[in-house]
Amino acid sequence: MHLTGLDLLFWAVGFAGHVILLLVLLARHRARTFPIFTTLIGLDIVRTIALALIQQYGTRAGYFYTYWFLAILDVALQFGVVYEMTSRVFRPLGKWASDVRHGLMWWIIGSIAVAAGLSWLASPPTRLWMQTVMIKGNIFSAALLSELFVGMIALSVTAGLPWKTHVARISQGLGVYSVLTVVLEAARTYFGLRTNSQIYDDLSHVRMGVYLLCVTYWIIMLWRDAPRGREMTEGMRRQLAAINTGAALDLQKLRSRRQP
Amino acid sequence: MKAEVGHFLLAVGLLLAVLVGIAGYYYRRSRRTSRTSWEQLLGQLAYVDRNCVERIALDAIDESGQRRKDEAAMELEPDEIWQLIGGLKGVEAVERNSLVFIDMAFYLQRWYPQALVTAEELRLNAREIEWQVSRLRSAEKTGKLAISFASYAQNAVVTYYIMTRRLLALYELGDLSMLVDLQKSI
Repeated sequence: MHLTGLDLLFWAVGFAGHVILLLVLLARHRARTFPIFTTLIGLDIVRTIALALIQQYGTRAGYFYTYWFLAILDVALQFGVVYEMTSRVFRPLGKWASDVRHGLMWWIIGSIAVAAGLSWLASPPTRLWMQTVMIKGNIFSAALLSELFVGMIALSVTAGLPWKTHVARISQGLGVYSVLTVVLEAARTYFGLRTNSQIYDDLSHVRMGVYLLCVTYWIIMLWRDAPRGREMTEGMRRQLAAINTGAALDLQKLRSRRQP
Repeated sequence: MKAEVGHFLLAVGLLLAVLVGIAGYYYRRSRRTSRTSWEQLLGQLAYVDRNCVERIALDAIDESGQRRKDEAAMELEPDEIWQLIGGLKGVEAVERNSLVFIDMAFYLQRWYPQALVTAEELRLNAREIEWQVSRLRSAEKTGKLAISFASYAQNAVVTYYIMTRRLLALYELGDLSMLVDLQKSI
């Protein structure tokens, strides 16, 4: 595989960006709060090193299988990050908020259906069936991720559930990247790989550039601390605990009330 | 350009327009909520007769919030509840206020993250009212409002009554000047 100077530059900058981001996650103790996101960033570092070594010393087949295995793992972890962010927003007290469970489930089912329909509609002009699978797979995952993030925003606002600062920042980065990926994948589908892969390469570079901007955004935002709340006095704390006990009883009573 | 490519690009365009539209709408809504001041929140409250709310609620629960089991419990007739609350419009006003209460709990939570548990209980109550009002709307469409009204409306009002008491208690922990404003409003 021939790599241009620009490819190598993206590779190096991406690697450095991921290393800095991982250091930020560890140094600022965000890894404990976002273990899946931290794993995703760790995987990106491992992937860059592994593919560089295989490209230099390995076989073509070895590169092929490693690339695909790590790409699938990467997509799975991206969905894991969606789960992680969703659980931070929709599990305010450690369990899924009862009023959003149904909405969330229907949104996920609808999103999968729309993303599947979109990738089924795509018919990129390619030479190999693997290229078709790759483009369709990219469209599916990008569309699904975008839909899930938008659904999260809509459901959380409707339900009145606030986003913590770092959850919002990670989601914004991944959400914007996913939406732009849908646009780029649509363009790649339009141009395809059959005649000239130059346009495909250019679009890949645009995608990498957008991703690097997201990584930079995450580095800055995750380095910063979330705004601090005001401290409650011990008296307030005790009174709140008393109210909460009453609240639990009230809800229990309401649920046992008559229905027509 | 082949027709199938055209269909695909049209589908992508539609999806993006819908996603950007939804995200933009809810993002603006969330920004508006987080920038709303306490005074503005109070201004959003619709008028609901506190005495009527109390009468309907206390027909089902006692002062301490316990479900009444005495003989005089649940004696209000559907027509009386209808008149006291002001019909479906009255229940909708209760629903609107419950949504404002979520924002109020959110407001306090912004400054006191420790209030999360109480804020979440308030939020769940407001959502319960929303659900009960949505049942009433469905009943209205199917012509069964008269049968459903008393039960769903009374449940909504009881929830509202408990919410208002809880919110007052929550604010009592913080700023008393806020509490005076809130007591006047609800």
